[in-house]
Amino acid sequence: MKTKIFKAAVCLCALSLSACGKKQNSITMPDGKLDKCSLRFSWWGGDDRHEATLEAIKLWNTLHPEIEIIPEYGGWDGWTEKAASQIAGNTEPDIMQINYDWLVSLSPEGDGFYDLSLLSDNSEHHAFLDLSGFDEETLSFGIRRGNLNAVTVSLSGRGLFYNSDVYEIVGAEYPETWDELLALGEKFGKKNLYPLDLDIQSGGTAWYLAVVYVQQKTGKEFITMNGELGFTQEDIKEALDFYKRLEDNHVIRTISARTDEDGNAALYESPEFIGGNVAGVLEWGSSVGKYESVLDENVLEAGPFLTGENGSSGGWMVKPSMLYAISKNTSHPDEAAAFMNFLLNNEECAVILGTSRGIPASSYAENALEKSGRLSGLAKENDDLLEQLDTVTISPYMELSRMKEICNTAIESVSYGTSDTASAAKQMYEEINAYLERVRK
Amino acid sequence: MKKRTYRNPVGVSRFTGLLLISPFIAGFLIFTLYPFVCSFVLGLTDYNGNTTPEFTGFENYINLIKSEDFRNAVKVTLKYAVILVPAKLIFSLFTAVILSLEIKGMGFFRTAFYIPSILGANLSVVIMWQYLFTSKGLVNQFLELIGASPVSWYGSPDKAIFIIILLRLWEFGSTMIIFLTSLKNIPKELYDAAKVDGCGSIRAFFSITLPQLRGVIFVNLILQIISAFQEFNAPYMITSGGPLKSTYTLGMLIYDEMFRYNEIGAANAVSWLLFMIIAAAVAVMYIVSGWIKRRDEK
Repeated sequence: MKTKIFKAAVCLCALSLSACGKKQNSITMPDGKLDKCSLRFSWWGGDDRHEATLEAIKLWNTLHPEIEIIPEYGGWDGWTEKAASQIAGNTEPDIMQINYDWLVSLSPEGDGFYDLSLLSDNSEHHAFLDLSGFDEETLSFGIRRGNLNAVTVSLSGRGLFYNSDVYEIVGAEYPETWDELLALGEKFGKKNLYPLDLDIQSGGTAWYLAVVYVQQKTGKEFITMNGELGFTQEDIKEALDFYKRLEDNHVIRTISARTDEDGNAALYESPEFIGGNVAGVLEWGSSVGKYESVLDENVLEAGPFLTGENGSSGGWMVKPSMLYAISKNTSHPDEAAAFMNFLLNNEECAVILGTSRGIPASSYAENALEKSGRLSGLAKENDDLLEQLDTVTISPYMELSRMKEICNTAIESVSYGTSDTASAAKQMYEEINAYLERVRK
Repeated sequence: MKKRTYRNPVGVSRFTGLLLISPFIAGFLIFTLYPFVCSFVLGLTDYNGNTTPEFTGFENYINLIKSEDFRNAVKVTLKYAVILVPAKLIFSLFTAVILSLEIKGMGFFRTAFYIPSILGANLSVVIMWQYLFTSKGLVNQFLELIGASPVSWYGSPDKAIFIIILLRLWEFGSTMIIFLTSLKNIPKELYDAAKVDGCGSIRAFFSITLPQLRGVIFVNLILQIISAFQEFNAPYMITSGGPLKSTYTLGMLIYDEMFRYNEIGAANAVSWLLFMIIAAAVAVMYIVSGWIKRRDEK
């Protein structure tokens, strides 16, 4: 009897595990027609993005009442986890706004999302997705193992944004070099204020700025596009040393002080930022709206990208701030492609969405925005400043959750003084190498 | 008088009983045993949700036991359970004893004290906790008012766990209700007799109330141990496991492995290790309880 029960259990598990290893055998092929259906569309963002996107969906519904769009949206925190569980359970929405690193983590073999080339370049019947507004390099960001998994919505880089009122009160200019930034701490410290804020939350801006500093100084990439660690242990130590100097010079709050003052709240929800005690933030041009909206109008301003002593301006990074993908399980690929095309290229939609997702990568949408006079604001200013620099494209491997965790843990231990920068760098170097070796498989 | 006979409407087959409990058996097999066995099998694989699981034997378990994150999570969870469980039992019992007094308006307090248990660790409670325990929060304002130094609740690795413990302690309603019900069932005559013999209320508590509640204390103890070892919500919402992973419980480790890192094999292995830790803790409690019972009977 016991043997029988054991055999039954093993059979049951084997069956369920073979179901888990869902090799993509049957996707719904496009047929070149738009049928009546409902589609789910998910995105993350702040209120400004939510409002604009809901407005765009309203426009879609008037143009295509036969294809209903069901919106699913929320904040960034926990969004990756939610999406990953939906995808693992085959319950993901038909159209998704995805993050750059999801191509590596959720589509390791390039078959985690629908192959969009089937919807954009089809000789047999009408293709609903028009990619002629994108240049080759922009499209290449969405390619995984030869399959076009996603289309870049906008390219973005993190820039420095400052509370102009507070800078005026302190009588300080926005820093242009790393040394000027380090010197600002003293001036702000006298009034018990901080010129900038960096965090070790999901954004991980603390490590990001330290990486930019070392990349600019050494000309190396932290992690290459192929997933190789470009920094040496010494480079990592230098990045950690730089971070520590920011804290020691009163440029940023220590992690302990930051956690004590804000608890678990995001910076744009923190009374310290809203009240002006913390007067700067490092943020993506495509997401700065949530910081802008909690301050008075035009108070938040884009500052210059910091340069080295010799005027070197490299090291600053850009990436697809987000991409659109279609679920490989969708039963309506044509309709999903048509809606994605609307979001990416439709002129009216582009005007409604504005720069809530950054400056559109599609030339059609960008031209429409320019014509309407809506191609302005902090996202545009940040984009213009970035264009003048010799930027580095972020490796999607740098964005992986475990990678961020390794970096944030090292920063935290240095901040709390539980590790010196040399031993934290050694541990970080070994952990990153081991992890990259594992994910590259 | 003619004896009436009743006929079993579903027949007298030996399968009748089985048929009657079959909905439960089906539910148990599908929703408990099947995931339980699958979880064990998944724990023996390298699986990220997007590829075919690869059998790796006990590699996940070995890696976990070697990993600093796992060892830290075990320490944090044990510390949390060791402080919270006795504190919650004592506090609940103390409150239940007070609320069992026959005083007018006590029903209001019974309801009021139960409300926090309904709230759990939801977003509004998290916001409230932030208002209470951040550096400029109400608790520190109060401390300064009475001349004490403010405490770094969120930022200090030694203190952060107490924010979580205080939240769960505040949610003592369910434990208290169980005690309250049992207190009502203790025969009044015992107290009357003790009073006649000149026994004070403190002596009566230790000599009558506590021994009478032994069974229910044990039940509450087991329930609280299981729930403390499985803690996830409060540290996830309030501290994100920080600072320096001082509130990073095993529940959070399972969540991170599963949903943040897509390491489904490792997440299931942690779940099984947690299951074994809880089983061991409960077994120890049973052994200790049996030993106390035998000692008292001698």
